[in-house]
Amino acid sequence: MRVKLKNVFIVYFVVSLVGLLCALLQLGQPCDCSQQLQAERRRGRDRLLAEQWNGGVRGEPRAQGGGQALPTIYVVTPTYARPVQKAELVRLSQTLLHVRALHWVVVEDAAAPTALVAGLLANSGVPFTHLHVETPPESRRRPGDPPWLHPRGVEQRNRALRWLRDTRAPGESGVVYFADDDNTYSLRLFEEMRSTRGVSVWPVGLVGGLRFERPLVAGGRVVGFHTGWKPERPFPLDMAGFAVALPLLLARPEARFDPRAERGYLESSLLGALVSPAQLEPKAGNCTQVLVWHTRTEKPKLRQEEQLQREGRGSDPHIEV
Amino acid sequence: MLRRRNLLTTILIALPWALLLTLWHQYPTTHYLSLLRKETDENVTSKAFLNGTSALREGGLPSCIRQQQSTGATPRVIQSYVYSRPPPWSDTLPTIFVITPTYTRPVQKAELTRLANTFLHVQNLHWVVVEDSPRRTNLVSNLLEKAGLNFTHLNVETPKSLKLGLSWIPSHTPRGTLQRNLGLHWLRDSFSNTAPPEGVVYFADDDNTYSLELFEEMRYTRRVSVWPVAFVGGLRYESPKVSPAGKVVGWKTVFDPNRPFAIDMAGFAISIKLILEKPQASFKLEGVKGGYQETSLLKDLVTMDGLEPKAANCTKVLVWHTRTERPTLVNEGKRGFTDPRVEV
Repeated sequence: MRVKLKNVFIVYFVVSLVGLLCALLQLGQPCDCSQQLQAERRRGRDRLLAEQWNGGVRGEPRAQGGGQALPTIYVVTPTYARPVQKAELVRLSQTLLHVRALHWVVVEDAAAPTALVAGLLANSGVPFTHLHVETPPESRRRPGDPPWLHPRGVEQRNRALRWLRDTRAPGESGVVYFADDDNTYSLRLFEEMRSTRGVSVWPVGLVGGLRFERPLVAGGRVVGFHTGWKPERPFPLDMAGFAVALPLLLARPEARFDPRAERGYLESSLLGALVSPAQLEPKAGNCTQVLVWHTRTEKPKLRQEEQLQREGRGSDPHIEV
Repeated sequence: MLRRRNLLTTILIALPWALLLTLWHQYPTTHYLSLLRKETDENVTSKAFLNGTSALREGGLPSCIRQQQSTGATPRVIQSYVYSRPPPWSDTLPTIFVITPTYTRPVQKAELTRLANTFLHVQNLHWVVVEDSPRRTNLVSNLLEKAGLNFTHLNVETPKSLKLGLSWIPSHTPRGTLQRNLGLHWLRDSFSNTAPPEGVVYFADDDNTYSLELFEEMRYTRRVSVWPVAFVGGLRYESPKVSPAGKVVGWKTVFDPNRPFAIDMAGFAISIKLILEKPQASFKLEGVKGGYQETSLLKDLVTMDGLEPKAANCTKVLVWHTRTERPTLVNEGKRGFTDPRVEV
């Protein structure tokens, strides 16, 4: 056969036809590329994770897959500068990073946002808003004052409420939760509070001098409160024991925390303007499970540090702790 | 006739491209992409299902759990991840074995909960929890099962004589020692020296705070790696002294800097290979002065110049020695005000 173009074409087409038939036959059979597939998948994920760690800031946190229809949980955390601040915020961010559709509102008790908190929030991977407002001098705790003398975090929480009212649309669904930076939160708590329509409540562990405080529930409604400290309060709850639906907060623009409230009445000063105790929605298995604990972190003993600083040999202040 | 030939030519030219398309569909990467899309859908539905169930133990976990039937003596080990939250196990990454001694007290569940929330972000982490108790408690068992981590649950009780202190100097009572040693013992039982797995051992107390970066720093330890720890020794942080050449030459501490290893338990990690190579190395119980517990283990494993400094040559603080206040349960009274059946 002579090498003619026509023959070349014929050979080419015949070969490709044969190959196509083979491929069609193979399609019907199970493909043995599962191992290769797993290896590819693993390599892909290793690479992804390596990029995440090296890159520092994460764009879309893993927790947020498919959460468009979910009401956003706005977690309001007042914070102030002290040695354990970074540690507390780091471990709180590690919990919050697991929760879908969550927005962290961190309000510093400071005249200006600090680099420590700004850097931490940027690296955490949690969607956040960074605010600040300084507690006025007369409400500030002086050395020697007991910690309960002035209510703490009031201006900061009110600042967050103002931000929500300024930036959220009236019809937007969402839940607002006031989470202090030293408490401990289980992941289930956030899913319990997500369905809040008005104000929902649940037990809080290790508070009020008890193993736990909780609302008393009968027939699916709150009928009283189980607490050992000042039970005459209208809402004898801890800050960590309730969440408020965003539409309710937006509908009552005057509701806020009262900085002049007596010790233990801070929560009541807000909730009294929103609901009555009978309207509270019990969560956490009709308030029988403890999903949040009012832990407090010890002040670290820095005696040697203070000694060195007096001698002018303190630790490197550029190293952030 | 010309038109038919043109048609035939067009068809025959298009054939190889059709062939190419079918082969491309079978190619692993694209198959993986479509599977990935399917997988994320599955994950979303499984999460929704699990969130909807009650507080009681969730059923419907994936069937790929290999569990040893637990008796009182054998530890319970779950080898494959059971929940969608921790990153999937990788066969290429070294494993981080975290040994956490724990004991029953009011804040125990809270501490372990937030520690679990931290570990759920770390890939290839195996949590070895050792209780200081005569029996494994339900509180810790349930917590570990629900958390979704790969874990091993052990227990050993510290005898009362040790709790009160072997020596007459109260500060010399070592805490968590028996538990950490049991963790090391389990590792040596589970893995052989001839085929050691890639990984590190880290002793993590349940009240400290760990950044996620720390685990990636320690993952590729060859022998023993070290880094700074905050809030120990009465300082903002203690750290190893690192020479410009990148070797550890001393310790920046105020409290007894001449210790062979003036470092906190949270400030070092040991490679599994080294632990298996030196089976007699463990924390000593007797004759250990305050601050020397870490030395009692490390001196049998490595010398100072064999240490690997991490955290940017020990200039970044990635772990904080936080301590949780003991809650004042003053209102519980003698008979207990709250329902003892509710777990806290």
